[in-house]
Amino acid sequence: MRNYETSGQSQHHSTSPPVPEPSDTETEGLIFYHMDLYGSKERFDIFPEEPSGRGDRSLGDTRRESALSSEKVQHPQEVGYDLEKEVAELAKMYGLDEDREKELELLGGHLEKVESRWPPARTEKAGLQGGLSSGGVSDEWNSQAVSEEEEEEEEEEEEAADVFCSTCKIPIRAFDKLFGEHKDHEVAQLPSAVESEKEEIHKNMCKLEEQIAQMENVASHLEEIFITVEENFGRQEQNFEVHYNDAVQVLAQKYEEQLEALGEEKRQKLEALYEQLVSCGKHLDTCKELTDETQELFLENDKAEFMKVKKFLKQEVNLELSTLPDFEERVIDVSEVEQLMNSINAIPAPCAPVINPQAPNAATGTSLRVCWGLFSDDTVECYQLCYQPVSNERHSDGQAAPSPPIIKNKKIQSCENAALVCWESRDINPVDSYTVELSKLTDEENEDIITESIVGIPNCEVLIHLQPTQKYHICVRAQNLGGSSERSEPVLIHTTGTCFYLNEDTAHPLLAILDDGFTISCDELENPECDLPVYDNSFTRCIAILGSLIPFPGKHYWEVEAEEDTEYRIGVAFENTPRHGHLGANNSSWCMRHIITPSRHKYEFLHSGMTPDIRITVPPRRIGILLDYVNCRLSFFNADIAQHLHTFNSHFQHYVHPCFALETPGILRIHTGITTPPWTALP
Amino acid sequence: MALKQVSSNKCFEGFQKVFEHDSAELKCKMKFGIYLPPKAETGKCPVLYWLSGLTCTEQNFITKAAFQQAAAEHGLIVVAPDTSPRGCNIEGEDESWDFGTGAGFYVDATEDPWKTNYRMYSYIKDELPKLINANFPTDPERMSIFGHSMGGHGALILALKNPGKYKSVSAFAPICNPIQCQWGKKALGGYLGPDASKWEAYDATQLVKSYSGTRLDILIDQGKDDQFLSAGQLLPDNFIAACTERKIPVVFRLQQGYDHSYYFIASFINDHIKHHAKYLNA
Repeated sequence: MRNYETSGQSQHHSTSPPVPEPSDTETEGLIFYHMDLYGSKERFDIFPEEPSGRGDRSLGDTRRESALSSEKVQHPQEVGYDLEKEVAELAKMYGLDEDREKELELLGGHLEKVESRWPPARTEKAGLQGGLSSGGVSDEWNSQAVSEEEEEEEEEEEEAADVFCSTCKIPIRAFDKLFGEHKDHEVAQLPSAVESEKEEIHKNMCKLEEQIAQMENVASHLEEIFITVEENFGRQEQNFEVHYNDAVQVLAQKYEEQLEALGEEKRQKLEALYEQLVSCGKHLDTCKELTDETQELFLENDKAEFMKVKKFLKQEVNLELSTLPDFEERVIDVSEVEQLMNSINAIPAPCAPVINPQAPNAATGTSLRVCWGLFSDDTVECYQLCYQPVSNERHSDGQAAPSPPIIKNKKIQSCENAALVCWESRDINPVDSYTVELSKLTDEENEDIITESIVGIPNCEVLIHLQPTQKYHICVRAQNLGGSSERSEPVLIHTTGTCFYLNEDTAHPLLAILDDGFTISCDELENPECDLPVYDNSFTRCIAILGSLIPFPGKHYWEVEAEEDTEYRIGVAFENTPRHGHLGANNSSWCMRHIITPSRHKYEFLHSGMTPDIRITVPPRRIGILLDYVNCRLSFFNADIAQHLHTFNSHFQHYVHPCFALETPGILRIHTGITTPPWTALP
Repeated sequence: MALKQVSSNKCFEGFQKVFEHDSAELKCKMKFGIYLPPKAETGKCPVLYWLSGLTCTEQNFITKAAFQQAAAEHGLIVVAPDTSPRGCNIEGEDESWDFGTGAGFYVDATEDPWKTNYRMYSYIKDELPKLINANFPTDPERMSIFGHSMGGHGALILALKNPGKYKSVSAFAPICNPIQCQWGKKALGGYLGPDASKWEAYDATQLVKSYSGTRLDILIDQGKDDQFLSAGQLLPDNFIAACTERKIPVVFRLQQGYDHSYYFIASFINDHIKHHAKYLNA
């Protein structure tokens, strides 16, 4: 049972399963046995050879499982099976044909018997003469008959034997070595031979003990299987009962319906016929009256009166039957019942699927990706997904939900495609994981729509992939069993360009960072007092500082503004670049250096202390630096006039960080978050 | 202005061709090499003009510089004309390698007997682009120029004398200040006469001092072991000093160990093609 978390409505971990639908009997009905039965490969070492490679273990298991399930379902009459047959079948499925006879005996619960027949369990002497081959159990068995014969022979000569013939594996008299058939054979002293054989036997004993233990293991597994099979068939019985009951119910319902319809028809017909009968009677009466009247007229003999009577019969009598006496043909619809009946045995109900653990990035505020897998190749028409929200309130175990974390606003590193956000938990309650929620800000829409969330972050830092040239609000929640914290204060991230921060820990003591966090200054090159604090990680020689750049293999661009008379080194360096050296003087840093000679501005592009000889006629005031991991280059530009100055082509083995150093008093202004200008693409 | 194809070879999915035509400006038959990138089959491409150095024909660059791959990649048509009129039967034209045939110096001669034929400046500036634009799928608005040695001088003066005409300019070991060097003095004196003030119109360093046109981004590569550098024929320092003063952006790269040859050119041709592509494809 998996607990998934969405970000919009955060949930805490829970052990209570989602409530299955009551009609869900099919999906539950045929779980055969727990996968753990196959979990450990070692348990099956007793089977000499797997039909499939070991690596395919789980796959093989599922196939067997499905084969098993379909077989069971197809022969429901075998419910009253006998244990041995069942077990034999199981063994067959495990591909144990070659060992079948042996296994059958074992699996049939005759472990004691096997033990008594085991050759090494016999007397030491017999073992010595008998199954001494170091081969498998079967070898020993095969040789058993032979060894018994030998045994008889040996007993006659036994008292005289004093040496051991290694070739024939029998004790002989020393005399035989000299003259007998063992003349050319290799012999050993009996005691030493006995020792070595004892050792051999001991080994075999150990092996046997191991095998016995494994057998016992298998026996207990078989017991488990026995129970599971029993359970499964019980379930299947229930299943059938439910199905057949359904079918019977449907049939009964049909019967009711038919009966009712028939009765209604009968009533209608009878009514119609009765009405006709009544009207017939009326006509009859009228006719009789008319006859009487006519007879009276005949008697009267008044001609004039007689002629008056013209309306002899003004009404025609309908003598047709108003309704058909026979009943209408009725089609009895049994398709539903058929369907029900068919559904019972045609396809076995599938095993319960297993829900995968929630993957990172699998949820948004309003949606959740749930994945699951099947063990066997069951035929599945559709899946039914049940879920219920887990309460945000305090869990029954009483643990309190954590307080919201605090995002370290100044330590955000970002670029066009990603952001590295870190935060701190200010909680005494344990925090299991964090969820980061991001909402993309668009101009017109409401800003609070969470567009993505990343759940299950174990530590206080996450690298988030983002889209370029967007704005995002990012906030974090902490989670533990008690539930989820409130959201942290959101931070705003623009993915217009690369943003890094200056790592104060690396700053040389004479280097100061101004309040904006991106201007570095140096007032004096030597400190008369010389007692400035030096941190472990800070530059000691070069008045330098490192930036912390997001470890993301894309393009990063930033600019540095310098006065024309400021001497500096700017570039990139590995995080572990030597703190006691100069930037560019080693192979862990690459930088542009500006120095002023009496005659001119001099520019060096240093790596490992080497620079090309380059003259630049217009001193750049604003230097653009492009770090392009993809094309393996680090380029410097005069950003004011889009002039390319130099490119280092280097395949950076690790992620690098921006570095800045001042060599004369002055300031450097660092600009981040700049869109990479198109003119940096070439060269 | 009929073009006659002299050769055509497939190269990096495009074609390296040589054509011959009758030049009105030079009054002789002229050849030029043209590389048509694969992109030229479907659309208009910018044109990059290459000017070769002393003694060269249209062949040197197209066979030795290995520029075609980069040109194909960036979709540039590259035109490499000859370096002087040929076969004009002018007395003394074949006497020395640094004057006359193969040494047109990209000027319009004003002196007899050169002034009729030796009009390479006008040929490169007007006649050739007109011819190219009329016969090939070019975008006339996008052209750039570069060259080597005497051709580097040619590229620089053409760019500096015609602000806006070329999107970008670059040079390999250019003759930066011809009025100060032996080659320049001989050629300019011969074509333009003894009045040195007239020469300044064809001197890159002098032209920079009065340049006030659109911004140019100039890339120059120079081999440090170039014998003509040490012989004082190229004088890049003068040019750089002038550019520094006039704040004309130049990146000048002194390449350790390289000489004046096409091996040097081939080593850095990709950087130059990219430099031009940046502006031509912007």
